Amino acid sequence: SWSLFFLVSVVWVVLVCLLFCSRLLSVGAAPICTNAQAGCHALSLANLFDRVIQHSARMHGISNDLHSEFEQYFLPSKNQIGRVSRNCHTSTIFTPNGKENAQRMARQELTEVILKLLVAWRDPLWHFHQSIAHHHDFNNFSANKALEMSDMVHELRKGVEKVAEKMQMMGIISNSVSSLASPEALLPSDSAEWRLMKDYDLLYCFRRDSNKVQNYLKILKCRIVPEHGC
Amino acid sequence: MAVFSSSSSSSSSSSSSSSSTSNLLLLLLVSSLDWLSTRGSVFVMDHMTSSAPVGPHFTECISREQETFRCWWSPGGFHNLSFPGALRVFYLKKDSPNSEWKECPEYSHLKRECFFDVNHTSVWIPYCMQLRGQNNVTYLDEDYCFTVENIVRPDPPVSLNWTLLNISPSGLSYDVMVNWEPPPSADVGAGWMRIEYEIQYTERNTTNWEALEMQPHTQQTIYGLQIGKEYEVHIRCRMQAFVKFGEFSDSVFIQVTEIPSQDSNFPFKLALIFGVLGILILILLIGISQQPRLMMILLPPVPAPKIKGIDPELLKKGKLDELNFILSGGGMGGLSTYAPDFYQDEPWVEFIEVDAEDADAAEKEENQGSDTQRLLDPPQPVSHHMNTGCANAVSFPDDDSGRASCYDPDLHDQDTLMLMATLLPGQPEDGEDSFDVVERAPVIERSERPLVQTQTGGPQTWLNTDFYAQVSNVMPSGGVVLSPGQQLRFQESTSAAEDEAQKKGKGSEDSEEKTQKELQFQLLVVDPEGSGYTTESNARQISTPPNTPMPGSGYQTIHPQPVETKPAATAENNQSPYILPDSPQSQFFAPVADYTVVQEVDSQHSLLLNPPPRQSPPPCLPHHPTKALAAMPVGYVTPDLLGNLSP
Repeated sequence: SWSLFFLVSVVWVVLVCLLFCSRLLSVGAAPICTNAQAGCHALSLANLFDRVIQHSARMHGISNDLHSEFEQYFLPSKNQIGRVSRNCHTSTIFTPNGKENAQRMARQELTEVILKLLVAWRDPLWHFHQSIAHHHDFNNFSANKALEMSDMVHELRKGVEKVAEKMQMMGIISNSVSSLASPEALLPSDSAEWRLMKDYDLLYCFRRDSNKVQNYLKILKCRIVPEHGC
Repeated sequence: MAVFSSSSSSSSSSSSSSSSTSNLLLLLLVSSLDWLSTRGSVFVMDHMTSSAPVGPHFTECISREQETFRCWWSPGGFHNLSFPGALRVFYLKKDSPNSEWKECPEYSHLKRECFFDVNHTSVWIPYCMQLRGQNNVTYLDEDYCFTVENIVRPDPPVSLNWTLLNISPSGLSYDVMVNWEPPPSADVGAGWMRIEYEIQYTERNTTNWEALEMQPHTQQTIYGLQIGKEYEVHIRCRMQAFVKFGEFSDSVFIQVTEIPSQDSNFPFKLALIFGVLGILILILLIGISQQPRLMMILLPPVPAPKIKGIDPELLKKGKLDELNFILSGGGMGGLSTYAPDFYQDEPWVEFIEVDAEDADAAEKEENQGSDTQRLLDPPQPVSHHMNTGCANAVSFPDDDSGRASCYDPDLHDQDTLMLMATLLPGQPEDGEDSFDVVERAPVIERSERPLVQTQTGGPQTWLNTDFYAQVSNVMPSGGVVLSPGQQLRFQESTSAAEDEAQKKGKGSEDSEEKTQKELQFQLLVVDPEGSGYTTESNARQISTPPNTPMPGSGYQTIHPQPVETKPAATAENNQSPYILPDSPQSQFFAPVADYTVVQEVDSQHSLLLNPPPRQSPPPCLPHHPTKALAAMPVGYVTPDLLGNLSP
């Protein structure tokens, strides 16, 4: 009877494994399809856009929180707006500064701008997090937020790349290889400029740039797939 | 400067951490004072600015839709600069390293406002504003700098209205759905602005506004408003992840008065109250009246084992021995009607009454139905084949205990016919027979079995025996000898013996009468066909023609065929009375065998225990086929009877 029990349990375990494995395989076998084959679980462009926009909104929110926290640490000057003498390292990237400008800009260009911005902030944010984590003035909460922020930039860049891929596949934007293949080429030449910046300035710049990214993404979405949420 | 001072104090405190705690405390105190002084300096400065003549300054710059913005200034205390044109606005747009100050593109001197239109507005680019006098004197030591996205205060939402969602079942509170439109100036459709809204409401003419959670949708539910109160609701909005709120919208008033919906509830409540009251009154009445009939109907007694005359405790506890003893008549009461009344306090207990006569009949039936009786059934005039047993008879399942007796319903009539037939040929027992017939006919109708029944003594005495007992002998007095050991049988047999002696001695009618009278109390049933038991007394009776009519009480023997007087008819008739092997005189002493040997079964399905004497044929049953009698029984025959048996 013991052997029988063992056999039965083995059979049962195998069955369960098969069930789960099939489930996993089914999930794993359906990434974002490139050719929209039958059987792929393809996300629609609107869904993709919603995801990246949500992501960018969250990223901007975190940067805003951190910025206001920093403002408590570093007592603000009389002027509530703060110093403007800083020069963000991303200032060299040409970004549309108004609604019409952004709307007039070609989709591909706008996508490129977004990607450039995201790429430009990958390293600075990582170093920012490192400096925050080792600085004993800041609590763990701020350090965690900084880490989350730097991760989000990474994820958001990947997400926007996916959106661009989808758009290229759908023929919305033309196939320009340069912007997507080697994003590192988008980096400004003097990429080490950000090392000279202080933490607070970094935060300020990033807050601004995250707002830009969020805006551009939203404009893109409402231009390309204005179904809902616009 | 405050930053540097705080950092210096922190460094100094860290460096002197190793020193005494007093130094540390001192330094902390200094730093805190410094911090306070900076705060205080701000306050002082404000105070100073408020008290002392403040220079021209910008009050605020606001953008409504992130596409344009306006700046307002004030001359401050310099009233000589309050005339229009005294102050000029210059701005610096830091979109390139070599940007320069420009003057305000659009003035509105009445409002002291500088308006920047779309062409002059750039988001995410720092602006610095300056106020200059006529002679290019700048009145601010620090520029007023900002980026446009940080000064956005959206316009209030429009078209605020509300709808009633539901009213609580208690009728005291209700929920309201409020919806609105985003401000038209904010380009939400293009995604340029992402707005979140905040609703605030309060009771009218009070100012403790309650704010609901901010959310980006254009509708929201307010829960828990109270009926009858008037509420004021307004809404404002701001950009997501930004700080500055726009202005509040115009208020909307909500009020829901009581809806007269009591009509639906009113009769329900009333009906419920009446119902409950009615039930309570009914219960009270029942409790008060305590009528037994009513109690029985409403609260019927729980059935428990109740036998009249027997202590319920015995029944409950299942003392079978005692029960047996009582039921078999061992106790005083037994099951008679004058048994002690154990159920006096339960007047509604009803016992199944068993009549004495009916009891006899019941017992008669029972005895008829017992297996022993069935074994000794009279031969049934079904057909001429022999030893068929019950095969050819329709087994008629009885309604009690499922015993199927080999009863042919047709035989019923035949029995009666035979009875009549036996009675017809002027037998001495006519009178008896008539009585018997009269008595038996209903019995026959009642039961489907041939009447073969024995009983010792009266009903009393019958009860004193076991339920099942083998009849081993029949006394001449009419008593039946069952299994040995019963005392009463002894008595019976003694009395029977006496009677026998009397009979033998006298042979007079009186004795016979006596015996007959005695017989009255005995249940002696002899099959009309003559194959049942017959008593010795019967035999003797038959031998001597009895003239005395048998009283009708009880059963009487019927023996259509004389046993001894007509031996010749024996051969003709298979109606052979059975004579028990034991003599009535000696039988009660000798232990009678419980089982006698069945010699054979004749065609009428009767068991021939002993070969019937040749001299006792049933003459009155001519249609009964004669049967050759078997040989003498071996064993179980006492010498006394041997003489009788010998042909």
